[in-house]
Amino acid sequence: MQSRKRGRLQRLAGLLEIPQDIVMDLPRITMLGNKQLLIENHKGIIEYTPSMIRIKLNQGELVIGGTDLTLGNLQIEQILVEGTVGELKYDV
Amino acid sequence: MMSKLANYLQGAVRIRVSGMMPEKLINLCVTQHISLWGITKHNDDLLVWMKLGDFFTIREMVRKSRTRITIVRRYGFPFTAKRLKRRKVLLIGPLIFFLALNILSSYVWFVDVMGLKNLPDSRIKEIAFQQGLKPGALKNDINTKQIENEILITLPEVAWIGVNFVGTRAVIEIVEKTVPKQEDKSPANLIAAKDGVITEIIVLAGQTMLKKGDTVKKGDLLIQGIAPEAPEATVKPPEAPVPEQPIRAKGIVKARVWYESYGETELATAVHEPTGRQQLGVVLKIGSNEFVVKKPDLTQFALYEQEAIHKKLPLWRNSGLIVESSIDVYHELDTSWLEITLEQARDAARTKALDQLQRLIPQTAHILSRNVEVIKTTEPNLVRVKVTIEAEEDIVQSVMISQ
Repeated sequence: MQSRKRGRLQRLAGLLEIPQDIVMDLPRITMLGNKQLLIENHKGIIEYTPSMIRIKLNQGELVIGGTDLTLGNLQIEQILVEGTVGELKYDV
Repeated sequence: MMSKLANYLQGAVRIRVSGMMPEKLINLCVTQHISLWGITKHNDDLLVWMKLGDFFTIREMVRKSRTRITIVRRYGFPFTAKRLKRRKVLLIGPLIFFLALNILSSYVWFVDVMGLKNLPDSRIKEIAFQQGLKPGALKNDINTKQIENEILITLPEVAWIGVNFVGTRAVIEIVEKTVPKQEDKSPANLIAAKDGVITEIIVLAGQTMLKKGDTVKKGDLLIQGIAPEAPEATVKPPEAPVPEQPIRAKGIVKARVWYESYGETELATAVHEPTGRQQLGVVLKIGSNEFVVKKPDLTQFALYEQEAIHKKLPLWRNSGLIVESSIDVYHELDTSWLEITLEQARDAARTKALDQLQRLIPQTAHILSRNVEVIKTTEPNLVRVKVTIEAEEDIVQSVMISQ
């Protein structure tokens, strides 16, 4: 039921040429090289260590691996991860 | 993005979150729209920056997340202000400093007079003092225009004056009038200052008996201070001889003047140099008694130089009994002869003689010839040189006529 509704919304968004992140409530992830990582529309952090950060998303979670990771700016709609980002895994 | 200035004004704290799940507190804060930044992990604790205002609202969340928080660092104006409030003197100090600076710089501390040539600087200062321009006067009370006018009126020698302040220094700048020199009008004769043969004679005032080619001795009368006879006076019958009116004689008398001088130089000169060997003689003086501590053995030294060192205790320690030690250092000397060639000796002698003459010949003199001759001497070690200079110069000298 949930997935059928989602599929329909996605098709509608494609038809009307509306950006999908607005319609689908998806996170927008922006990377600046491997120095900065900005995640908008998140659902909070699950775990934080300097070598690994897990962030809860609308669907599943985002696992960021790297070194000297810090949370530069933490707000309700966005997280800014600074440091050296080594890998990015999207767990659904 | 957080602006740095806003953070400073509002104040921020870095807190350490410890407990089982420190992330839980972070998530709770985020849902409450509390902005956090600079989050790092230290061991198992999280270090988080947050605004000071937000810090007072998280108490409930801390309890809910079962964590404990401690403040690690404080940043911003609220903390600085609090610290300053506790240390009031720190605030009063700069205040007093600026106040003192302001008060002290509003007084005149020094009065300087610049640009004076003939006028004494005490006279200017005296007038300025009477007008209130003195060390210790308030700068605002001083009317510079009035002082300038006052000095201009009282001192006619002043052409221009400016009074201004440079910091706490009052500078009086003065430009003096250049007054033409008062000419001496008293009657005088011109006499010869030196022996010589006259080459040129120009009489501007007075009478002369001399002509070109005459030889004069030092002190001879050159131009007499008598008014020249008026031509019409000769026409008149000499009924009563008019007493001659003495005037100030003026004129130029150029003459050839000879100068001579001798210079001597030795071919070999003795030079004494210390050999490095030395002997010490130490004498200790207590009160009026003298004790010879060490006697120098001077028999080995053919030639020596003595250097005396006196050592005294400072007066405050030496008040009762005078204790003094004198150390004599005897340096042995070695004699060596420095020899120079005949030419070098002659040149040195000539320079000596010329130096002597240079002092005698005035700057304005025109040198006609210079003659150097070596004189034979009986001593073999000596070179003697005679220098003769012939110069043409003005030899007049004013002498007052005594009445």
